[in-house]
Amino acid sequence: MNMYKSLSDKFSLEYVKGELLKTAYGSGDTFLGRLDPRTLIFWYLFFAIVPWFIHNEIILVSFLLFMLMMTYLARVSRLILFILCIGLLSEITVLFIISLFFGGDLASIGPLFWLTIKLAVISLASVAIFTSLDPEKFSDALLRLGVPAQVSFSVSYGYRILPTLIEEFHKVILSYRLRGKPPEKTGLLYWRMGVYYMKILVLSFYPLILNGAKRSRTTVEALETKGFSHSTNNQDVKKLKTAYFSFHRNDYFFIAFSIFYIGLSFTLSIYY
Amino acid sequence: MVKPIIQVKDVSFTYPGSEEKVLNHANLSIDEGEFIAIIGGNGSGKSTLCKTFNGLIPQFYVGDFEGEVQLGDRETSKYSVAELSKDIGYVYQDFENQIMRPTVIDDASFAPLNFGLKDYQERGLWALEVTGISTIANEFIWQLSGGQKHLLAIAAVLSMKPKVLIVDEPVAQLDPQHAEEVYKVLKKLNEELGMTIIVIEHHAEFIADYCHSVVLMDQGRILWKEPVKTALSKVDELVLHGIYPPQITQAANRMQTTRHHCNGLPITLAEGIEYFCHFPQVIPFPYTEDRQKVPTKEQPIISFEKTALQFQDLRRQRKQVLHNIHTSFYEGERIAIVGNNGAGKSSLIKLIAGIVKPTSGEVKVLNHTATKASPEKLGKYVSYVYQNPEEMFIEDSIKKEIELFLKARKVPDFEETVKTILYDFALSELQDKDARLLSGGQKRRVSLAIAAAMQPHIILLDEPTANLDIATKKHVVHMLETLKEHVKTIIIATHDMQLVAEWATRIIVMHKGEIIADGNRYDIFGDELLLQKAGLIIPQIIELSLKLGLPKPLYTIEEFCSYFHSVEGEGLAYEYV
Repeated sequence: MNMYKSLSDKFSLEYVKGELLKTAYGSGDTFLGRLDPRTLIFWYLFFAIVPWFIHNEIILVSFLLFMLMMTYLARVSRLILFILCIGLLSEITVLFIISLFFGGDLASIGPLFWLTIKLAVISLASVAIFTSLDPEKFSDALLRLGVPAQVSFSVSYGYRILPTLIEEFHKVILSYRLRGKPPEKTGLLYWRMGVYYMKILVLSFYPLILNGAKRSRTTVEALETKGFSHSTNNQDVKKLKTAYFSFHRNDYFFIAFSIFYIGLSFTLSIYY
Repeated sequence: MVKPIIQVKDVSFTYPGSEEKVLNHANLSIDEGEFIAIIGGNGSGKSTLCKTFNGLIPQFYVGDFEGEVQLGDRETSKYSVAELSKDIGYVYQDFENQIMRPTVIDDASFAPLNFGLKDYQERGLWALEVTGISTIANEFIWQLSGGQKHLLAIAAVLSMKPKVLIVDEPVAQLDPQHAEEVYKVLKKLNEELGMTIIVIEHHAEFIADYCHSVVLMDQGRILWKEPVKTALSKVDELVLHGIYPPQITQAANRMQTTRHHCNGLPITLAEGIEYFCHFPQVIPFPYTEDRQKVPTKEQPIISFEKTALQFQDLRRQRKQVLHNIHTSFYEGERIAIVGNNGAGKSSLIKLIAGIVKPTSGEVKVLNHTATKASPEKLGKYVSYVYQNPEEMFIEDSIKKEIELFLKARKVPDFEETVKTILYDFALSELQDKDARLLSGGQKRRVSLAIAAAMQPHIILLDEPTANLDIATKKHVVHMLETLKEHVKTIIIATHDMQLVAEWATRIIVMHKGEIIADGNRYDIFGDELLLQKAGLIIPQIIELSLKLGLPKPLYTIEEFCSYFHSVEGEGLAYEYV
């Protein structure tokens, strides 16, 4: 029971909520956070797509170093990094086990390792960008880049509603616990407790969704009374919403440095 | 000549799939600059009526709509809701769902921004200024208290500078002090900006203090619209429709043997003092305060030992929610915990239920250390009723909700218990319905039934009377009596001072995370300094008896009335002109 206690203390929903919100909104004061959102989106598009097509080990390693630097600059939350590491580790383990079934041996670790590096580059780029880009700016940037207003608003509203949902989820789980009964024997390695909690987690989604559906009625009406439909087809409103966008010296510097670094990696790969 | 700003002409509306008309040939005219209250029992069509004003009905609700509504000189069916909303603002009862943006200032300026107004930021700031929340302009909305969220919802609508503002139940979730604040803001808007204000309201005391006129609705019909004094003086008619006029008006009504009060009854405290100071008093004073017996060596049921609680907020700052709580509760007590929003009431009862664990100190519940026990274990002895009943609804029918606990614990013959509970709480006929689809009063009933079915020793209620009309509230109080049979101790956290005055035997006053007073109603309601510090507003009838200089405060209308000799209607006529 104690192991459960200490784990659940650290990973309380409160904590997760805090970390998520910090990742989403707490970005204003980092170097990356002050850049123009459009710069970040373009930068991300490059690092989310290009690594898939690169097999050169030197380029991948130098990209990885670049991403580590970015992660440091963005001050990514430890929880997110922890989850990322778990994800990468389990990915390589699972793939390795699968490869054994298909006649692989220890030698398959090599290619798997490079695949993982590739994934790490892409994941770190995503994490760094989303830590630095608050959903408001991201949504405005999408709007400015021509994405329909309904989509860009959903991004921003999705984040705004997140804490509310987590809180409600928490309360529903508590309702189950207050009126439920845990198994009397914990079982080997607490498996019975695990099953009990998993069952509650799954069951809790239904009330959450039903309550959410009820709530959205007010939201939809209120959106209309606040003139949202008026804004979706109006170019002037779009301009007004994104009037604060502007490229600064730092943006140019950041882009120039990135191009220089990418160029350098490719050059290195040719000579070595 | 004042122009009517809203005209409802013979409007009927039926929701799809329903036979019943929610609005039934309604006719109403509201003048520019009025401050008007719409009253009526749960389900009388108040919100539906207000949704016709800005075109949400019929444009957003399919259903049978007949008749015509005019806003200014525009017919609402011919303009889009967005277009009409430039002139009319709507603040929902569940206002939290109309807050769209993550920060306060963003939300306040959202509407003008959508309409492409260049000065959207100034408008947002202005609206925050008017509602008095400009200091929190850059906060994130999930860090706000309920009261602040409500003011923000109002500000977000105000930034369009509408001509009409509709607020559905402005004070339902607020403590008395914050409620007063909201009404002061509305009054300012009405008087200084000439805004027409429409509120849907159950609290007659606020209507008496702030509104000009009252509209009474019943089953989709508009029965009448009268000036506030005439309206609230129709005590018997209002009570018939489940609405309770101010306590002072009720008392005055009871004192009059002949029922023609052409000039109306007193509706505010000042009028009440004027009215009652001429009444002959009964001597000797018929009431002596029943001092509560001091709990002796009896074993406490719940005890707090130097308990403190801290939270970490999103900025990683530690926030002290409870300081050094040291107290015990005993069997048979009816405890009310009172205090402002954020005083720590809910946290205190959550500690007892084991939902939150103290940062330091201990909580003992029936010899179990709540600090170590899981919520499931405490659930055997303690049941906790949420402030929002919907958060307790996790099954798809009322019967299943009530069974859940008993089934999980494999209680023998649980079917019998469920049957009794369903009957006791008047839910037998609704048992197969989904609890989420019920009315506010019914939901509350289900939440209490769920708790009673757990057959706990201790029952904890968080704001059991919030969001209810007065008739349903009386019913809840009655149910508390029913609960008493099943339970050893009942603890309530509440803002409802009438409930406290009439029900509690022990009152605990909290302020900024500390218990600042603990006593019976005589100790608490007699201590003006204490009330001020804790931000409590005592029920009108007690205040009236104090202001009249009676030897002891009187707590109910019945007690109050028995202190005076009733007089003939005629003798009164000259006194109240």
